[in-house]
Amino acid sequence: MQDYKPNSICLFQGVLSAESLKKVKLIKADHAFVCEGRPSLEAGRKTSAIFLKKGITPTVITDNMAGFLFFKGLVKKVFIACQYADNKGALCDTGALILAVLAKEHKVPVQLLIAEHRTRFLGDPKSILSFEGQRIAPKDTHGYVPLVEWVSAKYLK
Amino acid sequence: MQFESPLFWPAYVKEDILYVLDETLVPNKLKYIPVKNVKGAVAVIRDMKTRAFGQFLVVLNTFLLELNPKGDLLKHLQMVAHELNNSRPTFPFAEVTGIIIGVSQKASANNADIRVAVTKTVQGFLAGIRARRLQRVQEIADSMDDHDCILTHCNVSGELAMAASIALAQGKHVKFFATETRPYMQGAKLTVWELQEAKATVTLVPDNAIGSLMADKLVNKVIIGSDRSAANGDIANKIGSYQIAVLAKEFGIPLIVLTQPSKGVASGQDMPIEIRDGEEFLVFNGKKIFGPKVKGFYPGFDVVPHQLITKAIAINAGL
Repeated sequence: MQDYKPNSICLFQGVLSAESLKKVKLIKADHAFVCEGRPSLEAGRKTSAIFLKKGITPTVITDNMAGFLFFKGLVKKVFIACQYADNKGALCDTGALILAVLAKEHKVPVQLLIAEHRTRFLGDPKSILSFEGQRIAPKDTHGYVPLVEWVSAKYLK
Repeated sequence: MQFESPLFWPAYVKEDILYVLDETLVPNKLKYIPVKNVKGAVAVIRDMKTRAFGQFLVVLNTFLLELNPKGDLLKHLQMVAHELNNSRPTFPFAEVTGIIIGVSQKASANNADIRVAVTKTVQGFLAGIRARRLQRVQEIADSMDDHDCILTHCNVSGELAMAASIALAQGKHVKFFATETRPYMQGAKLTVWELQEAKATVTLVPDNAIGSLMADKLVNKVIIGSDRSAANGDIANKIGSYQIAVLAKEFGIPLIVLTQPSKGVASGQDMPIEIRDGEEFLVFNGKKIFGPKVKGFYPGFDVVPHQLITKAIAINAGL
């Protein structure tokens, strides 16, 4: 914990395009934290690779660890992948709503960045039953995998 | 007939050996690890072979394994308590071991047999806890209404599954959503399995889908457990609990927490939160999953302030 100062973490969520990440300027004291993005882990992998190319060492967290960072006052800014936006809100990669609500609660600014690609609304229910090709959940488990969610503009101010 | 999951009572002593359910292997295998001494007990706790209520059982039963040392028994039990207290930081081990040490000291001061005093205390404690947990399960079942859709996180050591079986027997149609609970995936492995065994309807969701579930009104209640409580009602629970609590409040969904009240710390701010090695989730089956140079950050728990808790269903563990 002593490695991270208050308001020093920039938190990235969703499959962000390399082009949109070019616009993000981090200062030396900032830490880039990346949500892994279950089930595919595509967000964690791609965003981390882009940061490494920029000479920044990213820190990956699982999707349920973001709240801890907010609670500890460590988050400076949130960047979320957006597939569509208008004045009522934004259609974002799933997980964005959690960060947007937490950001509102903790008065942390949110910036929308362009997602790398558009996705279907729902993913394959079987995709959550395994991890990296290894079956995790018991036989006959039902899965539900929303891939996008609507984030109301009230959370994006 | 109510369903009792092996997770409801995942450790027991038989012929001077403590058998601890290896929760990392469930549901593929029901294998019990034989523990013969405090060293083995600390290992199963630290390696997360057991967790939550299992830790409580391991801590109490370990004293039964350590009643015949070569030297001074009281000093030995104090060493056992010290080892257990330092196994993991967040669970209040010292509150449990402190009781046993207190009983031992009292027996020693009265020239009574420490072995008898400790054995009676542990056995009495375990019998009482079992009765109180069964009572709490009934309260959980009573808190379930017909057509509820309940979100749960991580695993509450058999209590939710048993409550689900009672609700089902009462004719209530209750559905569950279980979060995967990365990185150890206790939701996917343990909760889904035991709810299925209890004949409940359960759907597994990624941890990042809780916002969608709540915004789309697919859940109307949240039930989670807790590893520790503070005097002001704050709790510590599996990582991910805080964001679930914040979103539940935002979307007007009641959050029910199963608690073990304690006055050991004043508030959640005073609870030490375990930070584990990030490599634990960056590596899977020996392979780095996000590339070789990426770092990981792994807080094991977070604190849920009492203001976010709608209802606590408490069990008095006698701490």
